[in-house]
Amino acid sequence: MKPLKKLFSLIVVLLAVSACSSDDNYLTSDPFVVAFETLSENLGDIENSENINLVYSETAENNGAFTISINAENAVYGIDFTTQPAAVDGKIMLQINSGSSTNNFVFNKLNPNLDETTAITFTISNIDYPDSEIRGNTTFSLNSEAATGGSIAPEVGGPNEQFQVYVDLSGRSSVKVQRDGWDLAFHSYDGFRVGINGSIFMAAAELQETNIDNISQADVEDLMTQVAVGTFDPANEAYIDYPDGDINRTAIKEINLDDSQNKVYLVNLGYEVGTETPVPGGVAIAGDARGWRKIRVLRNGDSYVLQYANLNDTSHQEITINKSAGYNATFFSFNTNSVVNVEPEADKWDLNFTVFTNIIDGFGSYAFSDGVLHNRKGDVTAYSVTTDQYNYDDFGASNVIENNFKQDQRVIGDSWRDVMNNEKVLIDTIFYIVKDPNGNIYKLKFTGLLNENGERGFPEFKYKILQ
Amino acid sequence: MKRTYLFPIAFFLPIVALFSQNEIIKDTTKIEKLDEVVVTGQHNPQAVNKSVFEVKVISRKDIERQAGNNLADILNNSLNINISPNTSSGKSGVSLFGLDSQYFKVLIDNIPIINEEGMGNNTDLTLINLDDIERVEIVEGAMGVQYGSNAVSGIINVITKKSAKTDWEIGAYVQEESVGSEYEWFNRGRHIQSLSVGHNFTENIYANVVYTRNDFTGFWDGHFGEKYDRNDGLRGHEWLPKLQQNAKMLLSYSKNDFNIFYRFDYLNENIEEYSELVDLRENGATNTSKPISQDRIFTNERLYHHLNATGSLFKKVNYNISLSYQEQTKDLERYTYIIRENQKENVEEGEYQKRSAFFSRGTFSNLIDSKKVSLQAGYELTNERGSGSAIALAISPGEEKVTQNLDNYDFFASSEITFSERFSVRPGFRVSFSNLFDTQYIGSLSAKQTLNKGWELRAVLGTANRTPNYDELYTEIFHPSHVIIGNRDLLPEKGISTFFHIKKNSSLSDGKIRLKNKVSFNYLALKDRIERLIMEGQSPLTFKYSNIDSYRTIGAFSENEIFFGNFNAQLGASVQGISKVLEARTDGDDYLFNLQLNANLGYTVPKWNTTFSALYKYIGEQQQFVETTNDAGETVLDTEKTAAYSWMDATINKSFFEDTVEITLGMRNLFDVTNIDTSSLNSGAYSGSSTQIPIGYGRSYFLKLAYNLNF
Repeated sequence: MKPLKKLFSLIVVLLAVSACSSDDNYLTSDPFVVAFETLSENLGDIENSENINLVYSETAENNGAFTISINAENAVYGIDFTTQPAAVDGKIMLQINSGSSTNNFVFNKLNPNLDETTAITFTISNIDYPDSEIRGNTTFSLNSEAATGGSIAPEVGGPNEQFQVYVDLSGRSSVKVQRDGWDLAFHSYDGFRVGINGSIFMAAAELQETNIDNISQADVEDLMTQVAVGTFDPANEAYIDYPDGDINRTAIKEINLDDSQNKVYLVNLGYEVGTETPVPGGVAIAGDARGWRKIRVLRNGDSYVLQYANLNDTSHQEITINKSAGYNATFFSFNTNSVVNVEPEADKWDLNFTVFTNIIDGFGSYAFSDGVLHNRKGDVTAYSVTTDQYNYDDFGASNVIENNFKQDQRVIGDSWRDVMNNEKVLIDTIFYIVKDPNGNIYKLKFTGLLNENGERGFPEFKYKILQ
Repeated sequence: MKRTYLFPIAFFLPIVALFSQNEIIKDTTKIEKLDEVVVTGQHNPQAVNKSVFEVKVISRKDIERQAGNNLADILNNSLNINISPNTSSGKSGVSLFGLDSQYFKVLIDNIPIINEEGMGNNTDLTLINLDDIERVEIVEGAMGVQYGSNAVSGIINVITKKSAKTDWEIGAYVQEESVGSEYEWFNRGRHIQSLSVGHNFTENIYANVVYTRNDFTGFWDGHFGEKYDRNDGLRGHEWLPKLQQNAKMLLSYSKNDFNIFYRFDYLNENIEEYSELVDLRENGATNTSKPISQDRIFTNERLYHHLNATGSLFKKVNYNISLSYQEQTKDLERYTYIIRENQKENVEEGEYQKRSAFFSRGTFSNLIDSKKVSLQAGYELTNERGSGSAIALAISPGEEKVTQNLDNYDFFASSEITFSERFSVRPGFRVSFSNLFDTQYIGSLSAKQTLNKGWELRAVLGTANRTPNYDELYTEIFHPSHVIIGNRDLLPEKGISTFFHIKKNSSLSDGKIRLKNKVSFNYLALKDRIERLIMEGQSPLTFKYSNIDSYRTIGAFSENEIFFGNFNAQLGASVQGISKVLEARTDGDDYLFNLQLNANLGYTVPKWNTTFSALYKYIGEQQQFVETTNDAGETVLDTEKTAAYSWMDATINKSFFEDTVEITLGMRNLFDVTNIDTSSLNSGAYSGSSTQIPIGYGRSYFLKLAYNLNF
């Protein structure tokens, strides 16, 4: 029985040994980096002083320090400008404090008359911190040119995507508005065109009646099932503004000088912003239905006249709406029955981060989340590049192909992410070239779709001017 | 990354060589037991050839030959049964006659075993450990009268061991298995350890305890597991790793014809789902990244209590009463994993799905004092409570979870009328009352005729229903563009099956060669089949679950066995045609046929105490009609084809030292099958696309070393 005993103890040892398990190696982290939050700022925008922000790649765990060198063209330190803390021999020293993740210094503009010949450049020249490296936004310029780039995280509001965010690349600024805060857009350009709010899935159908008071719900009952987004009926494309942003393809026909040509429209007000919390990765963009209106739009000189009422009303309200010079449109809301502010001036935004109504070939109109529409009416154009053609980092001004720029406002659209599967992902193989109304050309690539909890509605992108 | 693959055979060989040098070999010839006793669907336990039902038995010896640790390991070679592993949930389902595991019931000692999605049905076969199992009985066809709802395509009845021949039976084994070509001492492959002790305390009292640990480290297939920080789809695993621990206990008392046993089973399973998606969290300013991933860990816990008493009243009426309480809880821990820092953040823990049930079943047989007529009556009651959280199910937004109570009170009776030695008929009937559905009536009728020269004829007509699942009842998916809603008014699907078996037992050359041949014909139909239906005139597009469709399968199969000396072989073939009515369409219900073949060969060399086995199965091309959209945007029917494949296992089993040590060396999946293609033929919006169905993880090797001490 001796060999048996041996074997038995062998088995016991095997049981014991294989019941515990070992852990493997860990991956090495990136070095500690201090960098400027942005790459540049317009000197003319600074009145007296400005905070110049710096960010760390991670929260500092130790104390340390770093040095910034100053190089000024056509400006003299101490006469035209100073900094706080003050520079010594053209260098600013800043402390890295354990526990902090940002830092800043103050730029004081002493000479209000600095012109476009002036350029002041700050460069991170040394970082005294364990395992650190100088990389990323290592320089920051104050000059008179358009913003050279950086990162922007438009606050669309998480999985309900509550906001439309208008982003100006050259000004590095964002303006956000409540998505269901407006209904109709009365365009400011030469023709007379009225748009509907596609971000809340509105739809509009022309009726054969010219007297708004003659229409009741009974007259349009059949039509109401069709005038909606997402019915999977290709015929419903007629009831939305064409999603490419072409001002000549709105659901509401051009307003005629001859009132008898301006018919009453049945308007589906779409859905309120959703309020539910979906599972991480999902969106809840549509809330309660907002109901219906009947409207009729007329012209009065260079203004619009809007007649509107609930479906069964036998009388109607009327409001005169003026065009807004410098803006794409004047916006009207049925929530307040008044004109509301929505878009920034036409040349002050390039991209609109918004839910939008799109068309799926063969299935009609459909609601798309995470949309990015460029300002077609404000003369922004764009095109996409895939990484099998060029690497984002390597793409330069010489690679831009002028003929590729497209007007279709959906060039970015929803093409930057894939949400068809349970796993919602960025598409890593695409980036975009955007030309703003002033001719600045930027390359732009998305870096975020979800937040750290895996929730949708947290887009982020990086961009850089091509020159 | 450390990635070394130790070629398993190279590792195993020295050990085999070591043991081969021992020449203590005993010359025993084991005789195949012809009259296997079965219990499934029987009034009283009886021999296979006396059973009115056609019962297939997988014996302990068959299980040992395949070194099967759980049910999924041993069913791959059975005719008509297909095992379908789900690589993303870690589960293995079964499909029989084209119907998935919702239609199939798994029982342990005649009572259904719970899982988080069902009671008996929807069973994950990998959760049914075989270490204390005596045999597995399989019956094909609807068994609703005997086993209630969801026994539509068939049942598996796992029979546990309840006695020992010697005072003490102590067993321990380790099993080391490669997963495809992947094997490492800890982090690759499959590692199983088991320990069991059985003891006869007195002549009447027997007890055993079993502990098994099964560590499947996942099929990596070029993936890099948890600690990988690139977003190239290679993080995580191809098949999820899981660790199962199972502890079981049995206490039994028997005296004269009174038997009582209590059996307890605890299972714990941990499934690690490391997302292949890495969110790089790039910081554009510092040009650094902090990759994170959304990972999930599922923990399954199953508790099973079963108290069973059998005996006779007034020395006449045999009773068999089971009481059982079972529960299974699947919990989810999800968190953001900061990959490079090996840290978890935003940890959320909660119940994912849970089900608990009180179950009792009692049968009383020999109710009539007659040799010609035997009558059995019985009851079955199930109080089942299930719940699913919003993460597990698509339910109405705002609701945190849905719970459902399903109470069934069933009564059934069956009678076996023996007209002669040779001809008997067995009608059966069940009525089922429940809190959710209208009263259901189910019937069955079987007949058996024996003829001269070993011929046996059986005809079995059975019915069974399938109860609607959670999604079908409660789903609520709202989207601006479409809506999917459950339907609380759904009826159970109604299934009916007819089987006709012709069997012949023969022996040639004075019993040196024994043959069993069988040809069977089957028909199985489902009506009120539940499918999603588009609601007319609704905006947005609305789908609702409705009882609209039907399903039929028709086929023939043959199973044959030959025993000749130390050699035995089984050969089988099956042709099954499936016809489905899709979304109440009038076309596309043609029968589409599928061929399956299987062959099991065994050869024992008594002098060496060694058995060589090979198990083979071929599954022919499978077709089905699917609705697709063509270029013109019209919905059309298309034929989808799933490629044919072959599965083969081979083992060598050798025992030493008077059977105290047993070594099994084997290969699974000899043909190295991984994924098979499914593709549509015709043009369409998604033409040319083919999807891959995971079948296996490729050819793998195992060594099992078992030590049995009986005294």
